[in-house]
Amino acid sequence: MSCKDASRLISQMQDANLPFAQRLRVRLHLLFCHACTRFERQVRFLRRAMQRYSR
Amino acid sequence: MTDADPDFSAQIHSHRTYLLRVAVLQLRNDELAEDVVQDTLLAALQGKAGFSGRSTLKTWLTGILKHKIVDAIRKKGREPVTSSFDEECQIDDFDALFDASGHWDNPPADWGDPEVQLSRQQFFDVVEFCLDKLPPNTARVFMMREVMELDGPEICKELSLTSTNLWVILYRARVALRLCLEQHWFAAAARSG
Repeated sequence: MSCKDASRLISQMQDANLPFAQRLRVRLHLLFCHACTRFERQVRFLRRAMQRYSR
Repeated sequence: MTDADPDFSAQIHSHRTYLLRVAVLQLRNDELAEDVVQDTLLAALQGKAGFSGRSTLKTWLTGILKHKIVDAIRKKGREPVTSSFDEECQIDDFDALFDASGHWDNPPADWGDPEVQLSRQQFFDVVEFCLDKLPPNTARVFMMREVMELDGPEICKELSLTSTNLWVILYRARVALRLCLEQHWFAAAARSG
């Protein structure tokens, strides 16, 4: 899986349940990819930031 | 009618600027946004008893605004506000972010522990700056998802979007926002040590 595909799926996981096999492939990619791991953390941080924004 | 509690009225009005900004980002129409915020403030004053104090006043007002915005979108007949959704649903322009083999051209930088930023007003000023720079429909969908906290199927229904288009738009929003925050906040923070 490329970073391009992984980052798209990481975003999608914030909004929908991915099929198990796809989720597993993203997890595997994240084990070896620092850049996408950062992207995932930042995307989750964005959600917390927007929640804080409205509180 | 509402003069009975000027304090409550003042507290509500202190959130007016925030409510208007959130409404404009979603409706992209200043006049309509003004109306929706006015309705929200009025409903809040009349429905004071409904505010339990379990959530913050801002959260409670955001909840009222959410319903007013959804109503406004329904009344407008679901048309895209300023530009066509199609332009913002293309996945191709993400190509610039990645090299030919699909690796990041500019990998996300280390943001350290970003949680500390959440208590800084200046950080949220930059968030607002970055939201304003998003393409109109992208900002609208992102706000519906992350501030109004509507789920995917609800947004698709209100805006007549397919879920695939919804995911592309939200991906676009997140990629653009994280890049903007990195450039305008985290990189600056790193430079000033």
